[in-house]
Amino acid sequence: MAVQADQAPVVGVARRKRRRSQLGLAGSIVVVGAAAAAIYLVMAPLLALLATAFRGPSDLLPFEPGAHWTFDNLVDVYVSTPLLSSVLPNTAIFVAGSVTVTFLTAFTLAWLVERTDLPWRTTLFTAILFPLLVPGVVMAFAWTLLFAPNAGWINVMLRGVLGLDSPGPINIFSMPGLILCQGIASVPFVFLLLGAAMRTMNPALEEASSASGARPLTTFLRVTLPVLRPGVLAPLILATLVALEQFEMPLIIGFPARINVFSTRIYFELNPEDELPAYGKAAAVALLFLVAAVVLLAIYNNLIKRADRFVTVTGKGYRPTRYPLGRWRAPALLFVGFYLAVGAILPAVVLVWTSFSGGSNESLNLDAYRALFADRRFWPAVGNTFLVAGLSAAVITLVGALLAWQILRLRFPGRALLDVVSFMSIGIPSVIAGFAVMVLHLTIPIGLYGTVWILILAYSYRLAVSTRLSRASLMQIHAELEEASAASGGRWLDTVRRVVLPLLAPSLMASFVLLFIVGFREFTIPMVLQSEDNWVLSVIMWKLQADRQTAQAAAVGTLILMFVTPVIFVLRRQLLSRQGDS
Amino acid sequence: MLTVRGLAKTYATADGSFQALRGIDFDVPQGGFYTLLGESGCGKSTTLRCIAGLEEPDGGSISIAGHVVADVERGTHVPTFERDIGLVFQSYAIWPHMDVFANVAYPLSVQRPRLAAADIKARVMDALRLVGMESYTTRPATKLSGGQQQRVAFARALVRRPKLLLLDEPLSNLDAKLREQMRFELQELIARTGVTTLYVTHDQSEALAMSDTVAVMAAGRIVQSGAPREVYGRPVDRTVANFLGSANILRGKVVDAHDGLAEVTLDGGASTVQVPSRAVLSPGAPVDVIFRPEDATTHLDPVDGAIECAVERIVFQGGMSECQLRLGPVLLRTVVHPVMGARPGDRAWVAIQPERCILFAA
Repeated sequence: MAVQADQAPVVGVARRKRRRSQLGLAGSIVVVGAAAAAIYLVMAPLLALLATAFRGPSDLLPFEPGAHWTFDNLVDVYVSTPLLSSVLPNTAIFVAGSVTVTFLTAFTLAWLVERTDLPWRTTLFTAILFPLLVPGVVMAFAWTLLFAPNAGWINVMLRGVLGLDSPGPINIFSMPGLILCQGIASVPFVFLLLGAAMRTMNPALEEASSASGARPLTTFLRVTLPVLRPGVLAPLILATLVALEQFEMPLIIGFPARINVFSTRIYFELNPEDELPAYGKAAAVALLFLVAAVVLLAIYNNLIKRADRFVTVTGKGYRPTRYPLGRWRAPALLFVGFYLAVGAILPAVVLVWTSFSGGSNESLNLDAYRALFADRRFWPAVGNTFLVAGLSAAVITLVGALLAWQILRLRFPGRALLDVVSFMSIGIPSVIAGFAVMVLHLTIPIGLYGTVWILILAYSYRLAVSTRLSRASLMQIHAELEEASAASGGRWLDTVRRVVLPLLAPSLMASFVLLFIVGFREFTIPMVLQSEDNWVLSVIMWKLQADRQTAQAAAVGTLILMFVTPVIFVLRRQLLSRQGDS
Repeated sequence: MLTVRGLAKTYATADGSFQALRGIDFDVPQGGFYTLLGESGCGKSTTLRCIAGLEEPDGGSISIAGHVVADVERGTHVPTFERDIGLVFQSYAIWPHMDVFANVAYPLSVQRPRLAAADIKARVMDALRLVGMESYTTRPATKLSGGQQQRVAFARALVRRPKLLLLDEPLSNLDAKLREQMRFELQELIARTGVTTLYVTHDQSEALAMSDTVAVMAAGRIVQSGAPREVYGRPVDRTVANFLGSANILRGKVVDAHDGLAEVTLDGGASTVQVPSRAVLSPGAPVDVIFRPEDATTHLDPVDGAIECAVERIVFQGGMSECQLRLGPVLLRTVVHPVMGARPGDRAWVAIQPERCILFAA
């Protein structure tokens, strides 16, 4: 044995392509594994979904005995049906309306915070982020407590002030109510994107306009807006994608008003009152919206590329001049205050109050919490929520980072496809993602369906978040830093473990936190894939409020708020420190 | 020690392909200092990256210390981490998340079988002492100046005592003063360690000052190689002559040629010079006569056999001045002592040392 070990390594053995040999066996396994994971998490479910749309009859799984290839589903769904006469127009009105509300609000807020001398900007910045972290289902529930036509707090108060009769005057269970709620709920993330675009804009462009004799409004219209255009259009498209996939507002606010949009329609095809699930029909509906999402995504991608060329940013140290608000200060504060009241303060107050009062005007008590803690579903749901959010965030971050690395640093056939697959995940509506994973795992019975593990798999389709973040920071890491490791005798795993990952750590952390929040908020996927064993907090809360256990539902909401509020401050620090870097 | 044979590399580009290397052959003996010199895009860095294993050649073979590390015909390609090399990058590639010690210790810490921590520490300190950085061990890499980063990069490249040291324009990111200082330090360092070195640069003064052998590259080939004095004094063509130092080029016609000497009449004047010629030239053949600025003397009075020109300008450079002289369409450069009192427009006579001239057929 010793003799063999002492022999000089055989150097003349034929080796194939350089990259492969640089990777070594361990490296190849990791790289191929990441690619396989991407395909399993994103491509396989979508292909199963595609097959389902063309297999019938509709109540059978696509490859169950008795199923066959057919166009029946498409005909049933698309030829003179409620889908065309109500779901499609409803979805269009809902998306267009809520995106408009989101955009006007977010743009004004971003401009006030980033470009004017609005007082208490840092505090307001933090407060505006509130709905970003609170699950949409919690916000929707809180808003129904505030604006329900009969018992809503605001309605009761308004009736007292104006001397009106019940119900009203505000009816949240209507298309305008749905649009406003969704519009406000989506403000924070558009606000962040627009704020970033405004912050990185070179103020010299505007100063040159002023120096040319243009008045502030002219400068704003003829310089600021056009220069910001790519930075404004990209968030606009993202907001449209987000509105398209929304499920919790349409379910909680739209359903009582009998307003069906595409996400609720798919949900009810899969969970009909007293029939079998109509997989084929649901898949046929999903197909149309998947195509719409992919088209939007292609436009978005195109815009992003152009935004890169359209250099508004050249790096560091811009201190944008701030417009003095002057006598507009009070109205501006009023606007921000109104947004904060509706988007953060009132929902929080109503949730906390309801959880302690049982929704009535009796004395405060802990009954709701006692009942909740005694509920045998509650503690497993708490565990599931953190397990699923944490594990899926870890899986996505790791797989996404490896994927970004190999797409950027290696040349191999299928690279472009992997890139497209991972990027596409950003545009897949979560209701479709959940449904696709459901079909796949009902078809290949490996015992995951109905468990908490299927949620982790389904959540993990959001690879794009991690690949985008990792790619951005990998591009900052000079390839020579990796080559220096190889030239020092480091194997691929040494290089990855000791050079790439540590340098990538900040963006991996950011990606994990972001995905943990997304997973923590998630409601659609656990609703689509729910079973007795895998309830998470958001689903429990919905069940409680649907069963009219209002106080207990509010108690769940309050607990979520208590967990989320400190996270807002951590997130703010991260966002503000990154602001300092760039 | 290092043997490169027939090295070829072609890159696919958007509009076809680009032949970066068109057959490179050279040897570097044990302990030698070999420099690849050329303008950017000539293939010198590609050659170095092929030797390091960071690029895979399409043709040829490379062996380091008797080990074949690349042989395209036999399909051999040893990955970078198994090659016994030290590499210093132009950007130094100091890992920003490690301190000085961790950077230098890295090549030892990835060795298998593992080295004892005490051994690693001792060898890292040796390497840091070698470059004069032993008091900076805990300094974060981001807090180092350019010169310090470079010393750390050298320590890292030398710490595992490689058979071959590869240097990719290591001085070009430094400012002029520091560059000169580091050049001497580097030379001394390499002499002390005795490591075989391949040096890639576009700076001719570095190449001439440091190397045992200089190879001038252009368009993916080695155009000429040899000792620095030989390449400087006997360039094989105009490109090499021009690239290595400044050269004056005068047109002329051969009057007579025998015994390795050619008698040439220079255009635009009655001057005739006798210059050594390697090529066989027949009378009447057009030629270029090339001479270095330091191989001519400049006079303000007529001198026998000197070329009469007009002073165009005097460029004061401190210890000496460059004198630019107009001869018809040609601008000649010579070196003069700064006290010479010539002014633009003055007549001047340039006397060439014929035996230092080089002749090329035009």
